[in-house]
Amino acid sequence: MQSNDVIGQGLASGWNVTDGATLTANQTVEADVVVIGTGAGGGTTAEILARAGLSVILVEEGRLYYQKDFKMDELTSYANLYQEGMSRVTRDGAIAILQGRCVGGSTTVNWTSSFRTPDETLNYWAEQFGLEALTPTAMAPWFEGREERHNMSPWDMDPNVNNDILRQGCSSLGYTWDIIPRNVKGCWNLGYCGVGCPTNAKQGALLTTVPGALNHEARLFHGLRADRLVMDQDRIDRLEASAMGADGVTPSGITVTLKARHFVAAASAIGTPGLLLRSDIPDPYGRLGKRSFIHPVNASVADMPNKVDPFYGAPQSVYSDHFNFLKGVSGPAGYKLEVPPLHPAMSSGVIPGHGQAQADNMARLPWMNSVIALLRDGFHPDSPGGSISLRDDGSPVLDYPVTDYLWDGLRRAYHTMAEVQFAAGAKRVRPVHMDAGWYTSLAEARAAIDRLPMELHRVRLFTAHQMGGCGMGARPEESVVNGFGEHHQVRNLSVHDASIFPTSIGANPQLSVYTLAARNSTRLATKLAG
Amino acid sequence: MNQQNHAPDTEETGIGLDRRRFLKTGLGGALFLGTVSVTAGLSGCASAPAGRITAVGTRMDASYNFRFLTNDDIQLFEALLPAIVGPGLPEQPEARRQAIAGTIERIDSGIHQFGPANQAELRQLFDLLNFGLTRVTVARVWSSWPNVTTSEADAFLERWRTSSIGLFNKGYIALTKISNVAFYGYQDFWHLSGYPGPPQYAVDALPQFHNA
Repeated sequence: MQSNDVIGQGLASGWNVTDGATLTANQTVEADVVVIGTGAGGGTTAEILARAGLSVILVEEGRLYYQKDFKMDELTSYANLYQEGMSRVTRDGAIAILQGRCVGGSTTVNWTSSFRTPDETLNYWAEQFGLEALTPTAMAPWFEGREERHNMSPWDMDPNVNNDILRQGCSSLGYTWDIIPRNVKGCWNLGYCGVGCPTNAKQGALLTTVPGALNHEARLFHGLRADRLVMDQDRIDRLEASAMGADGVTPSGITVTLKARHFVAAASAIGTPGLLLRSDIPDPYGRLGKRSFIHPVNASVADMPNKVDPFYGAPQSVYSDHFNFLKGVSGPAGYKLEVPPLHPAMSSGVIPGHGQAQADNMARLPWMNSVIALLRDGFHPDSPGGSISLRDDGSPVLDYPVTDYLWDGLRRAYHTMAEVQFAAGAKRVRPVHMDAGWYTSLAEARAAIDRLPMELHRVRLFTAHQMGGCGMGARPEESVVNGFGEHHQVRNLSVHDASIFPTSIGANPQLSVYTLAARNSTRLATKLAG
Repeated sequence: MNQQNHAPDTEETGIGLDRRRFLKTGLGGALFLGTVSVTAGLSGCASAPAGRITAVGTRMDASYNFRFLTNDDIQLFEALLPAIVGPGLPEQPEARRQAIAGTIERIDSGIHQFGPANQAELRQLFDLLNFGLTRVTVARVWSSWPNVTTSEADAFLERWRTSSIGLFNKGYIALTKISNVAFYGYQDFWHLSGYPGPPQYAVDALPQFHNA
């Protein structure tokens, strides 16, 4: 078998890659553009700028992990590849945040779902935020370009049983469903996307745009944390960064100063607002770190009569948008239905419990299906999102108040998920809630769900999609960047990640990030070349 | 950081700021936990990481170097783990000790990756549970952890699981989540969830499992 180890081969060919842990002296480096972050936004930006002939330095706080490290092991991967060792939560601890921290960012650990930004969302942005240039028609060629770059197409193998249960349930109830486009090439259908693709099939930033940039003379520092951007009058002069030790979490004391003509922040919807807050970047209207969105997720598990083996097979291949825009773009909260993969560590951490009850839950894992609902937040006055602020150690944290508007959506989602699971033949269904038991009929589940307290900590909430905090818009009074991701006040600063979304997306966001980053980087390349 | 600075409700003034309401407010909870950390430090509780524990007289593998958990934390988890993952632990005493010790080591190595902010939160939680006064008054656990029975540990977890105080729910989730993940997620215990591990044909075919 011919090796497809793009990273191993690139390193051997002499890519300019520096592991921060190997640095022994402070230093200053310079390029045309410094790109902070190597995920969907940063990788795309670096590749496009480097191909245009600009000198580019990529800065990544996480470390470079690739095929040699991806051994389909949950504990190692959660510790190394995820933010805060998979312990990231909202400030009150009520919502678990799944987010990547490695070269490739969250695209290295996501489940490969690749949706265009829904038309409803783009049209809403045009009407509400003066973003008329981002209509579905105008964006179509940019989506096509990114779909090609990342090899995205609807999954053409049979869905695994976990996903097929969602399909069966929706079919029998008359709810619309469809097959998920995935960014894979030669996928083995193993089921380990979330712990780093072991076969190099996933076409995330790690194996596409980051190598594309490095093949065009870009330089990558990994294990290097962007501490603060330093202004000189009305421009950013430099980025100050700290090298991390070999453990990836303890600063070694070595610093790197990065100078450039232009700086692109692509450190995620938590990291970028955090960096800009630490840097005291001008924010005359107090918009920085506001309107943070997360697609709040709740879940339901089902005990099925036949084996599901939810740890095997492409983790996400079927979805339902039946309830996503059912009551209009700005009506009561809509939700997208998907399924998550269930491996032992993830399952035992997500399903609350201890003792014999938890042992019994875990013993049924091979028969377990789970459905998740992803709520569209940010499209209603009662869904204003959360905010990013800094903790004592300078690290960013998300406050996310869950409003009654969202609780209503979450309760409806529990109902829908139970309905779908029973329709697909579930023997028992359990909403993932501290007060829920296993229910053996839909009637019993419905009665129980109506009584479940919709409260923080009782409802188990998750997010894998962080958006907003540096929202784009035509009016500086209500946004941080313009429709091209250019900072309203600081001319040599752009933001090219999910933090520019003025609402949530209403779908898994990676293709939205790739696409806007590609469009905005193409413009930036022209400006910087001119 | 600034929103909880309101005056207590009228009915809470006077004799008693109701304990439940006090803990429900974020600031009350944070201050309370912060006080415990300071008090525990001043009163000489061992809050330094346990480091490398000698094999003599301990249950631990002396080769593991604890970077976060203190000796007190280790005793806490030795008391809690039988209540959290007990049904899955081996019955043979030596194997059982090894399983608990290994799980505590994996909890420590997991927490090492959490970063300073979340580590500080866990430190407050563990200090609250380890410090005698708060262990009794807040957790309502009367004995010191090495003397706590599995049913007493279970009763404590159950109180925090079902409590109407969010802070206790959060503590319950923190304790059970790190324990469940470190236990059920480890290959020696995959059989408890019927998980066969990564498909063997893939392990056989992929280079990362063969290039040492």
